[in-house]
Amino acid sequence: MYQTIALFLTVFFEFLLALAFAFVYGESKRKAEYAPIQEKGYKIRTYWFFGLIGVMGIATVLTLDELPYHGSHAEATTTAETKVVDVVGIQYNWEMSEESFKVGDKVEFVVTAKDVTHGFGLYTEDLELVAQTQAMPEYKNSVYFTFTEPGTYKILCLEYCSIGHHVMVKEITVQP
Amino acid sequence: MEASGNPLVRRGVIWYLMTTSLVLILMMAFGVIMLLNQGNLINITPEWFYKIMTAHGIGMVGVAALGGTAIMWYFLSKYLKINPVIFLINFTCSIIGVILILIAIFAYDFSDAWTFLYPLPFQSTKAYGVLGALLFLFGVLILGVGYLIMYFYLAGRLIKEYGGLGKSLGWDYIFRGKKGYGPPPAVVATTMVIITNSTAIIAGAIVIIGSILNIINPAITMDPMLAKHLTYAFGHIFCNATIYMAVIAVYEVLAKYTSRPWKSNKAFLIAWNASTLFTLMIYTHHLLMDFAVPTWMLIIGQVFSYANGLPVMVVTAYGALMIVYRSGIKWDFASSLLFLSMFGWVAGAIPAIIDATIVVNHVMHNTKWVPGHFHTYMGMGVIAMILGFMYYFNKTEGSMKHSRIDTFSISLFFTFFVGIVGSFLYAGSISVPRRWAEHMPEWVLSDQVGALSGVFVVLATILMTIRFFACLKNVERPS
Repeated sequence: MYQTIALFLTVFFEFLLALAFAFVYGESKRKAEYAPIQEKGYKIRTYWFFGLIGVMGIATVLTLDELPYHGSHAEATTTAETKVVDVVGIQYNWEMSEESFKVGDKVEFVVTAKDVTHGFGLYTEDLELVAQTQAMPEYKNSVYFTFTEPGTYKILCLEYCSIGHHVMVKEITVQP
Repeated sequence: MEASGNPLVRRGVIWYLMTTSLVLILMMAFGVIMLLNQGNLINITPEWFYKIMTAHGIGMVGVAALGGTAIMWYFLSKYLKINPVIFLINFTCSIIGVILILIAIFAYDFSDAWTFLYPLPFQSTKAYGVLGALLFLFGVLILGVGYLIMYFYLAGRLIKEYGGLGKSLGWDYIFRGKKGYGPPPAVVATTMVIITNSTAIIAGAIVIIGSILNIINPAITMDPMLAKHLTYAFGHIFCNATIYMAVIAVYEVLAKYTSRPWKSNKAFLIAWNASTLFTLMIYTHHLLMDFAVPTWMLIIGQVFSYANGLPVMVVTAYGALMIVYRSGIKWDFASSLLFLSMFGWVAGAIPAIIDATIVVNHVMHNTKWVPGHFHTYMGMGVIAMILGFMYYFNKTEGSMKHSRIDTFSISLFFTFFVGIVGSFLYAGSISVPRRWAEHMPEWVLSDQVGALSGVFVVLATILMTIRFFACLKNVERPS
């Protein structure tokens, strides 16, 4: 969902940006005194500044509520039913304490690495990235996911870890 | 047009730009090779893919830094008496660094990427030996030392001339109510770069020296999280500094072409002070998926990454639009590219800001969305600024004139650069991971579009470089 929103927002804002540049380019061949342009331009800039602050403020308020971190998200979702799965990244494999799940399972993946930094990326059967965290030596990161669809999910390495990076893939199954 | 008074500065700028343009073409070719391989159009081994990826990453950052430095030094020397020997010392350090890095990669198989996350360099020595990793790390270190010498020297000159870096950043005007305009934009931008990039290089030097010691004696270790902070503080700020050096050309050239002064008023100075602060703070958006980092630090990463878009969107890019609007500007290679570069910078900032949103980053971090946004502001922003400056330099110091082929090459460059970054951003939106040598069948179409676009961008850059070299002969050489 967020990927689609990101793409559409980017295209939308970049289109508006291109329009602004095209408009100014179109007007560039005419010549006028700069002082009145500056005066009007600075007024518009004030609105532009507060408009941007408003958009960024709204985006901040809307998005900081659903953080995927242990500090907030974990406490909200961890229950007695949560399955805790240990995940260890090692060149070029994922070692997991459990690899088979059922639809409805809430899982806490406790992710670390033995050798170098890896990236734990959970992909659906349609190859959509749905959750990730870094897998680092000496650190444990917990990432939470509830399986709502059956299928064969994949864990892909998302942090470059040397020449076998692209083969560091593990399949896990989610039964109906 | 006003020519540079110092022949040594002119000669130095020529060396910087010649190196920048030639390495740029080579690194672009490396980029196309990677896309062709991901798109199943050619077949190279993963070992070679990752070596090329490492060279492409460090090479492009180096190119942007060299070109940005040439711009900064060229214009700064008009306002400040600065010793060109320091300019050439930095160039020499860069060349030595580049040679060591290339030997490390292509003779000793170093392929740990330019961000070399600790302890990966040590781990790789088990397979490839210590020499490659040490040559690479020393190469980056020497390169950084060259920049540090240059920044410390410039800091000394600015302190002597203006009475302190605060004053050359316009604090008298912001905090003490001094009337009029602050120092020239070139001085303000240079001060900002000195502060931020010196910090970055020192952070980088610490993690590089730590990595070197770890390789020589594995009993000496670092905390991987601390190392990661230092690595991204270095990498993020160093890349950003290239933009802040190169944008000086926009201030100088567009002002000259439109005959409208671009002066540092209070809003301009506040924007550059904000950029100084934000650039130092926001590297943490590279660690949004490191859940062990304190949450407040990651929220700062999001909020201040948003805020860091404001100076460029509200002051610099907006200022470029305002100065060009109804100015009767003569459009040529330099003015066109520098105007378009402002579009490229902001166009890249948009997906970057979106990706700095933690919930978005959770499903887009380390996908091709990331190279998508940084190729936009580096390729269509910084590189466009450098290419535009190359023309401006030839025109000002020599006799270069705009021709139809320039209009064609600019159109080719920008049209197909949109193809490259569009393919990357689309790939990111369908979750394609970055830095994968081989791609799944579902992903290859975007790679093929990117590769095809890349071929035309390389062609456009070759055309521009040929024009640059051909016209250099008319640049007055020092006797």
